[in-house]
Amino acid sequence: MTAINDVTEVAGSQKRSRWGSRLDRREGRTAFFFLLPGLIGMVLFLVVPIIASVVLSFTNWKLLGTPQFVGISNYVRLFTADPQFWPVLRNTLFFTAEYLVLNIVISLGLAVWISSLKMGQRWFRVVFFLPTFTPGIAVAIVWMLIFAPGGFFDFIMRSISVEMPSMLTDQTLAMQAIIIVSLWAGVGYNTVLFNAALDMVPQSYLEAARIDGANAWQRFWKIRLPLISPTLFFGTVMTAITSLQVFDQIYVMTRGGPGNATATLGYAIYQRGFQNFQMGYASTIAWVMFAMIMALTAVQFWLQRKWVHYDN
Amino acid sequence: MKLTTVLAAAFLASSAFIATAQAQEQVNLTWQMWGDEKDAALWKSLADLVTEEYPNITVTAQISGWTDYWTRLPVLASSGQIGDLVAMQSMRMPSFYSILEPLDAHFESDGFDTSVFESSIIAGLGHDGTQYALPYDVGPWMVYYNRDRFAEAGVAEPALDWTFDDFKAAAQKLTEGENYGYAVQAFDFVAGPVALGAEYFNDSNQFDVTNAGYAAAVGKFVDLVAVDKTSPVFASGAGSITGSGRFAAGGAAMYIDGPWVLQQTKDSVDFNIGVAPLPRGEGESRFITAGSGWGISATSQHKEEAYKALQILTGPKAAEILASAGRALPGRLAEQKFWYDVAAKDVAGTHEVLDYMFAHSTPFRLNEYWNEFENLITQYMPLALNGDSTTDAVLGDIQNQLPF
Repeated sequence: MTAINDVTEVAGSQKRSRWGSRLDRREGRTAFFFLLPGLIGMVLFLVVPIIASVVLSFTNWKLLGTPQFVGISNYVRLFTADPQFWPVLRNTLFFTAEYLVLNIVISLGLAVWISSLKMGQRWFRVVFFLPTFTPGIAVAIVWMLIFAPGGFFDFIMRSISVEMPSMLTDQTLAMQAIIIVSLWAGVGYNTVLFNAALDMVPQSYLEAARIDGANAWQRFWKIRLPLISPTLFFGTVMTAITSLQVFDQIYVMTRGGPGNATATLGYAIYQRGFQNFQMGYASTIAWVMFAMIMALTAVQFWLQRKWVHYDN
Repeated sequence: MKLTTVLAAAFLASSAFIATAQAQEQVNLTWQMWGDEKDAALWKSLADLVTEEYPNITVTAQISGWTDYWTRLPVLASSGQIGDLVAMQSMRMPSFYSILEPLDAHFESDGFDTSVFESSIIAGLGHDGTQYALPYDVGPWMVYYNRDRFAEAGVAEPALDWTFDDFKAAAQKLTEGENYGYAVQAFDFVAGPVALGAEYFNDSNQFDVTNAGYAAAVGKFVDLVAVDKTSPVFASGAGSITGSGRFAAGGAAMYIDGPWVLQQTKDSVDFNIGVAPLPRGEGESRFITAGSGWGISATSQHKEEAYKALQILTGPKAAEILASAGRALPGRLAEQKFWYDVAAKDVAGTHEVLDYMFAHSTPFRLNEYWNEFENLITQYMPLALNGDSTTDAVLGDIQNQLPF
């Protein structure tokens, strides 16, 4: 979400300076009233809750009863005393790193493959896009049944004589199960996105390169990839943000377990806030998560100068 | 003529006034409840009982799913939108008693005596000696077993005072590869150790799950899975439900649950089932019970009417309806027979087993962090069960994360 806002913000601010001079005050006021319904909604449902959660993060509110101001003790507790914070942070970053790389590689691979097809492109696009409009919770429940001890996955493994522990009860494999499910659900969106971008690459560039003797490999790395890099960048930023917030799959499949093997920031917020009713502390974690996502997104924007090519 | 007109007008006006006054007395109570869609008709029939008795009171049930209920409840309470009647489970009472109206003053005003209810659940729905809710159901955790599998394996059916060693021997005899003798669930690590005589609290009602007695008792149940392989490991995501599924499918010969699932279990299996008390340790048998009931919201505008409705909802007629439908083993002692006649009809030993268990019930010790403890058990216990960690290390991890 933040990234979209940032992107539009950047684009918007350039335009606004040009527009601003042309709009006189009256038009500005009229525009303000036309924008008011949206603005009220945003203030009420976005700005106020955000400010409220900042305030909450400095209290010990337990949902029932009145909150008491506790200063920065929630933050101190989070970074120094909570035995779960560092494992949770590590899990979140581990998930994000592995999922992000796999998602981008697989979806780009699929997009390139689909765009190379002579026929059935549309059909494949629909097939890969299907998981995107399937509710995440439903997806996770089905996969949980597949991976459950003694479930379908164990049955398949046994019938091909592969000896392995059950996915969801093993500390290492549980996170991999979460990643597999997330990939199944998340790859389709990026595939369609990248595929559309690849289709936009002008044929003339590719033909010129072919005439110059560039092989398919070179054409991909030197022409197609640089030309779709803005889309690739968008896909990467969005995927990184959603993966830092991962929750549904974990809530349904593992509840953060076994042990703390799959406990992530998103799940920790839910657990502290809605299971243990420590709303103040949950808000603290939420703000740490927000800071992390901001920082990571900022780094990505900074890095984009190195690898993203805009036509203009 | 003029006087008549005035009188007529006055009469009309006063009758209109009386009508409005009567209309104002009409009270609609909201009733916060959990449950399935299929139970909706049952709750409706209970609500209708209230209106039958008090025509000016109507009760409307607001039903949400079990998990959502506990997320919604504090939110509704803190935003002042909570209903007049609130469903409460005994194990959550320490966290939620503050949103409920103490009932003792109401009992005094109408001389109500709670001894018509099973005593352990009356204790369970109170807090610090104050009563906050009246029960509709009650029950101890007990062992459900597959009688057909017991007969095939030549294992004698459990005695009322069977020991953990008997339980273990049965589980071992009943296990054949993937066909397990027992299916462990998260709550077994609470009810099981208590039955063996262990305590998870210290004397000041704080968690002390690393004490030797509790660790040893948990270790016994862990060994059934990790060492003897008589039970599959449960996954943390579904720790509290996998056992029932395996049992119903015939893949596990025993599992532990309460009488509240008896009707449902009986309907979903195609073999004969029996129930037995939890196995005891060296000492006397002792069992914890749980149950649910309804209380009055502390912020209700209609507490008097809500109390009247509560008396009907937890009254004999309502208990009979719920018991006859198999929905609940009533907290009311006199109406328990309806449940035994219907839900428990084809289940061997139910009456004797429950009588024995109620006679040996022990207070279920709880505090406001109970829910966290249960979640931590579900999340961490699989590590001990699959051999990645030891019982002591897992209990240490759980203890570390519990507030004290």
